[in-house]
Amino acid sequence: MTATPDTAPLKGGFLTSFRSKFIALLGCAVLASLLLGGVVALWNVRQLSHDASSEIETGLTKATEEYLSRYIDMTAQRADLMFARTFDQVKMLAQFTQRLVDDPKLGRDLGNLLNQDPDFQDAMVYDPVKHWLQNKQGEPSVISVWGYLLDGNGKMRADVADAVRDSAVFDLIAPSLMGTGQSKLQMYYVGPKDRPIMRTMPYSDQAQTFDKLYPGHNEQNWWDFFFPGVYEAWQGWAKKPGSRPVDTDITILAPYVDAITGKLIVSYFHPIYTKARDDIAGMVGVDITLEQLTELVQGVKIAETGFAFLAQEDGNVLTVNKPGEALLGIKQEDATGAGVTGHERSLAKSSFPDVAKLKMPTPGETIITRVTVMKDGKPQGLLVALRPLQAMNMWQPNVGIAAEHLMLGFVVPDSEIYASLYGAQQQINSATNRIVKGILASVMGFLALVLALSIPLSQRFTAGLVRLADAAGRLTRGDYDVQVPVKGRDEVARVGLAFNSMAREIREHTEMLEQRVADRTSQLASATDEIQRLYDKLRDENLRLGAELDVARRLQMMVLPAPGELDRIPDLDIASYAEPADEVGGDYYDVLYVPGGAKIGIGDVTGHGVESGVLMLMVQSVGRALYERGETDPCVFLDILNRAIFKNVERTRSGKHLSLAFVDYADDKVTIAGQHEEMIIIRRDGAVERLDTIDLGFPIGLEENIHDFLASVTLPFAAGDTMVLYTDGITEAESEDGKLYGIENLIASARRAHEGPAAEIAAAIIADVRRHIGKQKVHDDITLVVLKHR
Amino acid sequence: MEIKTAEYNVWNEGSTIHYEGTLRLSGTDAYQPILDLMQQVLAEKPQNVVLDLTQLEFLNSSGINLLAKFTIELRKHPDIAMKVLGSTKIPWQSKSLPNLQKLHKGVELIIV
Repeated sequence: MTATPDTAPLKGGFLTSFRSKFIALLGCAVLASLLLGGVVALWNVRQLSHDASSEIETGLTKATEEYLSRYIDMTAQRADLMFARTFDQVKMLAQFTQRLVDDPKLGRDLGNLLNQDPDFQDAMVYDPVKHWLQNKQGEPSVISVWGYLLDGNGKMRADVADAVRDSAVFDLIAPSLMGTGQSKLQMYYVGPKDRPIMRTMPYSDQAQTFDKLYPGHNEQNWWDFFFPGVYEAWQGWAKKPGSRPVDTDITILAPYVDAITGKLIVSYFHPIYTKARDDIAGMVGVDITLEQLTELVQGVKIAETGFAFLAQEDGNVLTVNKPGEALLGIKQEDATGAGVTGHERSLAKSSFPDVAKLKMPTPGETIITRVTVMKDGKPQGLLVALRPLQAMNMWQPNVGIAAEHLMLGFVVPDSEIYASLYGAQQQINSATNRIVKGILASVMGFLALVLALSIPLSQRFTAGLVRLADAAGRLTRGDYDVQVPVKGRDEVARVGLAFNSMAREIREHTEMLEQRVADRTSQLASATDEIQRLYDKLRDENLRLGAELDVARRLQMMVLPAPGELDRIPDLDIASYAEPADEVGGDYYDVLYVPGGAKIGIGDVTGHGVESGVLMLMVQSVGRALYERGETDPCVFLDILNRAIFKNVERTRSGKHLSLAFVDYADDKVTIAGQHEEMIIIRRDGAVERLDTIDLGFPIGLEENIHDFLASVTLPFAAGDTMVLYTDGITEAESEDGKLYGIENLIASARRAHEGPAAEIAAAIIADVRRHIGKQKVHDDITLVVLKHR
Repeated sequence: MEIKTAEYNVWNEGSTIHYEGTLRLSGTDAYQPILDLMQQVLAEKPQNVVLDLTQLEFLNSSGINLLAKFTIELRKHPDIAMKVLGSTKIPWQSKSLPNLQKLHKGVELIIV
């Protein structure tokens, strides 16, 4: 026995064995669960980091904003204090000067007194080219008398000279003020509009500088030339102190470049009123370089690069460091005013929209705004805090005096505020990466462990199956002694037990089969001989039967009337039908022509075959001989025929006999003799007559002398009448359920068709019999003869 | 004795021979075993022989020939009476059995 391709064990391929499937399944399950766990853990870590980040960010933002608010508050207070100190000194100088104006006698006396001291004497020198008068160098202060206060010879008006002399008091007080408080560039006194002499400490080439920087100043009133509108505003204040924008007389100038020092200057002015407080008697002023405020502002350090700036209400930034200026996208634009050089560096003109749109706070409020600027081509978030300082009266060219809040601004880059947050986030990210690596490593490690464990485990699990498969393979190859070792009591063990039992059965069956095959083979051998012998015999028999059949058929052909013979009877229309059952029938019929009539015989020989055929031939021959001899008595006819047949049957020892009846037709009458089936006559009008022939004769060939049993009956047979002759093959024809056709069916069938010619009647009857038989076997010969009177 | 096939059954109880079923054997040779059975009954020389045909539904012409032969044979034994039992319900019996009586006057035919 060889294994067919279907049962050959499959080799190769990863998942062909149960064991590798088991390992793969286990590996997949472990991998999936570990990966799922890892993903969940990772997601949680990420979520945690996100939550923590946003928490820290919120906290940091809040803390930073609080810090910025406090810091800017504090710084604003310091700035306010700085301003306040300067204000105090300006006020002190102003009050001293005002005291002298309010007490002219004291001022005069003080002036005269000081004039006696050479230190306070002013040696005035006229410059005929420039047409102004100024004291010489070496004095503590410089005093300038403008050309429009002089006559053609360079002489001062008397009141002007008095004023110059009286103003020497300034030299007494100013040095002490210069040396205290905020460091000052200069302090000065300017007379009223009708004599605006200007005394400034410390000494400088004041008139010369003015000539150089402000041409034309010597032809126009000082006040109107340098600070148009200030004087008139103050005049209004004198009459109505409540009209001051801010409740102080101090008026500052918008920062400007000082004509003398060239530095960015903030000037503090304080008006001096007349004794009656109905007009202006001059003013005192102090100049402070912006660097002093800048020191304060630029001293502010927030985080790493955070910085502060000072701006005017309109966004003009007064002080800011260079990196801060660049970061805010603003730049210096020099603006020239009527008298002094202004300063323009507005946030509103920033190149960054966020900065340009910064909202300015209202007094007392701190606004913190988050803006985005571009730094080195990258977006940079900034936190900008703005806080206004105390309100001040400020004069600006073309504007006049208005309340102004200087604005303190703090700027911190986001990145620095959130530096710690970003640091934390980076740490979390690196921690997450470590976790991912850790999870991956543990997944791989665990997977490897599981696979390593599952290999011996699966070997144990599948060992039973492998043994079974091997055993089944051996069984397939014909090794019926195979048995599987069975361990344990699991399903595999049960299969193993069942397999062993089946294998044993197969072995037993196989052994028994072999024995049986041996037995049967010898039986078959002897049977084959027998079969061969029988076959040879059968072949001989068949040959013999075939020959016999041929002979019998020929005999029947000879005996039955030829087709043309039937048509020769004048009055009768005769149709016949004969069908042998299997071989050659034993039915007999004959039609003999008689002048003026006919003799019709019908009979049935027992059995079939050659002997029956020979008996028929004998009956026909004897009948023909008697007919030719002219025997007309049907009984004599039958008696002689019986004797002849009986003796021949005896001689041939055939042991056969036959039923036989004759119908003689002549002159519209039929005479019937002999024993056979019932005769059926259907009259022209359909009436049926049945004639039992049992008492008209006796079986032929059975008894030597039947004369006593013979009789004849004569019946009328006129035009339109039909007679039906038949053998028992018709009446005893069996249907599929075993019912015989019977004479009643035969009569009914003949009656239905009796009006037609004989051939039609015969065909109708045969069709009806065939319908009855169906698929049932035809047991006996079927013979039918129909006579119809024309 | 008994001859039994799916189609017919012939057996004797003493000198009474029973026929049952349908006998449609082909030719007198085929009927020889049945004739043997009947002649064995006759060889016993009983006082009378009974042929019970009441359960024989069908008998073909060779079978009738057998009965006729047996009847003719019986004429040689005038001391043995013969009784034939038939049934009017079976068509062939009314038609053929009277011939047995014609062959041998000693045959008592009872068709009920």
